[in-house]
Amino acid sequence: MTSRDQIFQVLTDVLQKEFGFEPDSFRLETHLVDDLDLDSIDAIDLAVRLEERTGVSFRDEELKAIRTLGDVVDLIDGRG
Amino acid sequence: MPPWGRIAERGSIWGIRFTSACYRVLGRRATLPLVYAVVTYFFLTDASGRRASLAYLRRVHATAEGRLAIPRPPGLRESYRHYRTFALAIVDRLAIWFGRSDQFEFESHGLDYVDGLAEQGRGALLLGAHLGSFDALRLLARRAGRAVNVLMFTANAEHINRVLREFAPEIEERMISVDPSSVQSVFTIRERLRRGEHVAILADRIEIGDRNRGLRVPFLGGRVELPQAPILLAGLLGCPLVSIFALREGPGRYRVHLDLLAERVQLPRADRTAAVAELLTSYARRLEHHCLASPYQWFNFFDYWGDAEPSAGEV
Repeated sequence: MTSRDQIFQVLTDVLQKEFGFEPDSFRLETHLVDDLDLDSIDAIDLAVRLEERTGVSFRDEELKAIRTLGDVVDLIDGRG
Repeated sequence: MPPWGRIAERGSIWGIRFTSACYRVLGRRATLPLVYAVVTYFFLTDASGRRASLAYLRRVHATAEGRLAIPRPPGLRESYRHYRTFALAIVDRLAIWFGRSDQFEFESHGLDYVDGLAEQGRGALLLGAHLGSFDALRLLARRAGRAVNVLMFTANAEHINRVLREFAPEIEERMISVDPSSVQSVFTIRERLRRGEHVAILADRIEIGDRNRGLRVPFLGGRVELPQAPILLAGLLGCPLVSIFALREGPGRYRVHLDLLAERVQLPRADRTAAVAELLTSYARRLEHHCLASPYQWFNFFDYWGDAEPSAGEV
């Protein structure tokens, strides 16, 4: 995983395939709770699936600080 | 839960210390009458525990299958038998932890299948209950050379590990304290499942410290609240879900029953609660089946249905 674009691609792919969202509903500023209506179990689910794809495992405090899709990309980019 | 119910119960350090000291100093033969005496004392003095026991036995008796095990309407005699069966379970637990665990014999149904999954790196989440002996399951796993991880939704796990190390350093089992809202807990458990270990949890009570809500499902003619957390975890892990109960068949003899509840737990986002309820209902159905077959081995001596005065239609 090198570029932020690729990370965003993986993230939106997971959200489409595993969570059933429409492909055009994602931007970097899309809010996980307000826009996508994810709850705490969904957030863990997302973290587990992203770990399987990227090898990056989030810590709890990191996961709790995430608000937008851009935050997720930043986190994976920073760790990868 | 009355205080006596916590004797030798995990979490009660004093209970473990006291009863294990008796067991090690006096042996099984002298410990059993002692535990009978303690249980009898509580039977005589603790009205709420006695009422809970009777309410449960009546629910068993209210079913055709239950009347095979409890033919006449339950009264004090049946309730006392219930208490004495608990004493036997406590002494067996001591024997398993501290004594001659090689004297136990097991028969099992379904274990090969679950172990087969584990060998493919698909350890299962095992849902047990306060029915029969959870410790017998640990012993069985130990003999099979498998580690058992016992999950608890409390911060008590490390405390109990310390006491176990103090009294029975050879016990390899691990208690893991989990928080279902923690992604790190999920990763920890997933690691163990992938190593081919099973992870067990008691799913018939909502533990103090479990912040997830419960769901009410049918059980023995009423509805009881069971914890969502174990099912949510299984969904996050995408692992097999298995109910597991070890029931005492005679001195030193246990029969272990495993039933597959789901080969791979999947909880659709849109109907997650319905999917959890469905799996909890299957679990409760298995639990009920074994309660009816071995009614006296049920060790929840509190108002389990949350209706100390059950409505006429339910009993």
